[in-house]
Amino acid sequence: MIELKNISVRYGQKTVVDKVSAACQSGQFIALVGPNGSGKSSLLKAIAGLVPFDGTTSLPAERRARAKQLSYLAQNSTAPNDRLVEDIIALGRTPFSGPFMRLTAADKAAIDAAAKACETDSFFGRKFGTLSGGQKMRVHLSRTLATQAPLILADEPTTALDPYYQLSILNILREATRAGSTAIVALHDLKLAERFADQIWVMQAGQLVKTGPAKTALSETIMREVFRVTLSGQIISKHQN
Amino acid sequence: MSVRLWLGLLSAICLAAIAGSLLTGSTWIGVPDVFAGLTGKASDPVNTIIQSIRLPRALIAAIVGAGLGASGAALQGFTRNPLAAPGLLGFSACAALGAVLALYFNYPNYVTPAAIGFALMGALAMTLFSRRKPGASGLVLAGIGIGALATSVTGLVMNFAPNPWALSELVYWLMGSLKNADTVDTLTAGPLTLLGCACLILAGPALRVFGLGEETARSLGMSIGRTQALVVLGCALCIGSGVAVAGAIGFVGLFVPHILRFLTRADEAWLIPLSALGGAGFLILVDSFIRLTSGPGTPLYLGIVTSLIGVPFFLWLAWRQS
Repeated sequence: MIELKNISVRYGQKTVVDKVSAACQSGQFIALVGPNGSGKSSLLKAIAGLVPFDGTTSLPAERRARAKQLSYLAQNSTAPNDRLVEDIIALGRTPFSGPFMRLTAADKAAIDAAAKACETDSFFGRKFGTLSGGQKMRVHLSRTLATQAPLILADEPTTALDPYYQLSILNILREATRAGSTAIVALHDLKLAERFADQIWVMQAGQLVKTGPAKTALSETIMREVFRVTLSGQIISKHQN
Repeated sequence: MSVRLWLGLLSAICLAAIAGSLLTGSTWIGVPDVFAGLTGKASDPVNTIIQSIRLPRALIAAIVGAGLGASGAALQGFTRNPLAAPGLLGFSACAALGAVLALYFNYPNYVTPAAIGFALMGALAMTLFSRRKPGASGLVLAGIGIGALATSVTGLVMNFAPNPWALSELVYWLMGSLKNADTVDTLTAGPLTLLGCACLILAGPALRVFGLGEETARSLGMSIGRTQALVVLGCALCIGSGVAVAGAIGFVGLFVPHILRFLTRADEAWLIPLSALGGAGFLILVDSFIRLTSGPGTPLYLGIVTSLIGVPFFLWLAWRQS
């Protein structure tokens, strides 16, 4: 179980995440949704220990120990174009490796399993730069899964991907949760969130305003007040509020 | 060809270049005489030429080239910027300022400690200035700023040179040369460069992870502070000691890692030792060329020849890659 207590993130004077408390069970797929600038990415970074924050999480504070407990898929993940796909996926084992990063049999097994789950094993031997955007994201996801961490944090992994790769990426994440990992995934597409998530966390202006299954978390009221749209898809202008 | 084979090939090239530089010069010395000279069993001029001139010069070329190559590879890996080089980030400028100050105030015996000291001070200043924003962009900004400041102060010192001869001495020194290399230089720069290269090689595996971006690297348990400290300290030791004994030699740290990355397809961790060997081999060969072609008049300067050879090759490579 992952617990967050009163997590706050400030950039200078601006509070971007404001006393967020939440908990999720192992094996759950959590969709973190909210308008642009609502604090989704900052909350994920705080959980990953990438930004200074107030409050506590149930994850270890020590850098290496925390890295073994979570794997983070950044919004704009990148990798050198001339690097081989299998070498990039292998970097997911970094938290478990020594100073010269020699791979053990267990590491190789984890890399192979992650590549198979994401169907990136067929890209082995190819350079990262030769892949399409969707294929690159699947390689990054393979690297994330290769860590075999109990918690996966993914920051808008479906952005700029076509429907095939959007569904493919989220299916892989859902399979990972069925295997026991917990996934907290920031998403903009509410339909995808509704379709894949066990729980939806709705953020607005840095606060977690609603949690629960899609039916309750994405109610007409939330849609109007947080997303400024109706369930039928109409935009609500500022004057209507 | 695997990376290990490249390591073997480059090591062999370095050894062959050192052997070649012992054999050739204004006078050809045969293989038996070179061996006799190395053990002090040859006739007197041969002993002196081998032990006091050719061997120190070849070793210094190897040391300086190794430091430049390794530093360039590490900086390009850490900043994820192919244009990063010891010269761009101010290491060479800080070391050169220290050496120029020692020469200006007429302390020629203190050129080496001054260059190394200023390179370390520059590294410390870069680290302090980039504390608010640790990582590649902070280091690049701080390095460029401190390098520009060191270059300006070096210009100021030269501006106040007491006479044209003192100024020409500073200018010639800045062009880079190994003509005064001796055993003391080898024993000073050698261990410091080895220590610097060890720091950079130790940072290598982390640089491989930093290729995924700083956020991802940190989420995988990497420490930006530790990696930056190793890179900055390693570069300061390599470049400080290199500038101290050979003056400012540009471009090697930029193009040697580029060429080796292109040829070997090695990642950052392997590229550092490969570039150290490549830089060493390149500088020994260039210095041998200078020794063979320089007449009794104005000698060619190492820094100028490295750029003259390196730039066209680099441009050809850039054109081919694009």
